[in-house]
Amino acid sequence: MTDTLLQFRTVTKRFISGDSSLIILEGIDFGLEEGSSVAITGKSGCGKSTFLNIAGALDRPSEGSVLFKGKDLGGMGDRELSRFRNRHVGFVFQSHILLEDFSALENVCVPAMIRGAMRKEVTARATELLDRVGLAQRLHHKPGKLSGGERQRVAICRALMNSPDLIIADEPTGSLDEDSSDAIENLLFDLVKEEGRTLLMVTHDMELASRCSTVYLLHNRSLQGIS
Amino acid sequence: MKIPFSLFLVGRLLSVRFQSRYDRMRLLRSALLISLVMIPLVLALIFMDGMMDGITEKYITLQDGHIQIEFPERLDERIHFSDSSILSADYVVSGFGIVYSREATAEVRIKGIGEDYFNERRSSQLSFQGSALQKEGAVASVMLSTTVASQLGVQIGDRVAFMIVPDSSSAVVRPVLANVKALYDSGYHELDSSLVFMDIESALRYFPKEKNARTEILVHEGALSDLASVVTQIESFNGSGTLSYATWDEFNGTVYRNFVTSRQVILLVFLMILLVAGVYVASIAQELIQDSIQSIALYKTMGATTISLFLAFFTAVMTVTLLGMTVGVGIGLGIGSQLAVVLSWLAKTGLPGLQYYLLDFPVVISWRPILTICATMLVICSVTVQFSLHRIRKISPLELLQQD
Repeated sequence: MTDTLLQFRTVTKRFISGDSSLIILEGIDFGLEEGSSVAITGKSGCGKSTFLNIAGALDRPSEGSVLFKGKDLGGMGDRELSRFRNRHVGFVFQSHILLEDFSALENVCVPAMIRGAMRKEVTARATELLDRVGLAQRLHHKPGKLSGGERQRVAICRALMNSPDLIIADEPTGSLDEDSSDAIENLLFDLVKEEGRTLLMVTHDMELASRCSTVYLLHNRSLQGIS
Repeated sequence: MKIPFSLFLVGRLLSVRFQSRYDRMRLLRSALLISLVMIPLVLALIFMDGMMDGITEKYITLQDGHIQIEFPERLDERIHFSDSSILSADYVVSGFGIVYSREATAEVRIKGIGEDYFNERRSSQLSFQGSALQKEGAVASVMLSTTVASQLGVQIGDRVAFMIVPDSSSAVVRPVLANVKALYDSGYHELDSSLVFMDIESALRYFPKEKNARTEILVHEGALSDLASVVTQIESFNGSGTLSYATWDEFNGTVYRNFVTSRQVILLVFLMILLVAGVYVASIAQELIQDSIQSIALYKTMGATTISLFLAFFTAVMTVTLLGMTVGVGIGLGIGSQLAVVLSWLAKTGLPGLQYYLLDFPVVISWRPILTICATMLVICSVTVQFSLHRIRKISPLELLQQD
């Protein structure tokens, strides 16, 4: 029996600008089982990223609640949410955003340093992760010296660094060429599986989405199951 | 080993090794500008304190002493110096007059002194030319300052005439002839332009001791804070009851108040300069935050708390401030220790304004005001920097995605 890791209860998100209000998500109910992989697809501007931001505790819903392992994220203060993101969520963004002044190894170490882990343990874990993605020879290279695919691999390692329960990926291959995309896709799925993590991904790419156990379409502000 | 994230980030923000050329230059520029603020402040402080101490010392040793006891008879012979806080006691008389030469006149304060008046401490405050003051026949001996001598156009060996300004008890204005036996130069124009020494025998003839005689007391450093007890000590030596006295700051009330006011005004100017420096440091913080928005958003996404980021940026900016301050104070002290030499050299080049200052003043490094300035700077900066760092609180992790 699997447990529900993340649960949306009639979540609505609206953006207010002056007198006008724009509803992005409306009354969404959604559950994410532990160890599963879920893809959210939809047209540009349909609210996929907003959905992910709320799931990753980067944003709060306007109405409704989000529960993580049964605990309401809405009741947490900023400090608790920071701690929650650090311990339980790993993010992979489209633009493989890295700290430009830090080496690949240091970029991967940052989440663990924020957690307050021992330096030796942090370095060993980061080195191991980078080794698994084929960057053992690039540990001390800065992002500027890495290719797009290599940068995204570093970002994936960083997302996995604290062994989070949930990996949130926003168009993880969106800015890569076809060859790199395939490599990153394989890597992401393999690592998530090996590490026993849950994956929540947003993508336009139906081929990539089809690799997930469940696919949803975000349309007209609500989720519709596809497979 | 566990390294707190804030500390790790401070290291990254400050480490020259990890930074771009632009970031390195920014750090250097910031520290340099803070140094440039501190250097003139320290110099001004050394100048102000040195000048005030120097001038005060001149007035105390040459004109008034620490204490002036108004007593017509000689008290100096009754005072025991061993085991007491008294350095010297001299019976003097003084009054005002006008000195005439063939060419010019000058209004002066005439001070009658004994032969042993110029002890080691007083001698260190001036340079002499000529011989000791001794009465020769009916003619008084005087020692003019080189300033007055130059004004009158006289030299050692010349004669001058004095017109003694009478007090209420002396109705007759009497001209007095005097030999210029010596010249002195205290280095302080204001004092030199008004003070003339005369042998005490002659002076007592022109200035009645009942009104003009005093015993001038110099005390050891340790007794300065309690001059009243020195007077009590003297009263016990004298054995004739309470003595009327005035201390230097009372006697030269205007000069003393001017010093105090000058110091307060200068400290106020310092405070304003420090406020401007504080605003500058805040702008450094703002620039640093502005350039780090994406990194801050990323740190927040990865779970860094606002307080840990605030602490890291605050520590980094304050470290640069502290570094700039330390370098500035160091350079200021270095130049300040040579300030008298520099000013004397400038005076010799003919800068007219400098003649009104004391140029051979002792370098006084008062640590308390320097540390107060540094502490004030740190407090001001720590407050102003917080206004800039407040921006960290407002940076949302979502800004990372908006720049995506």
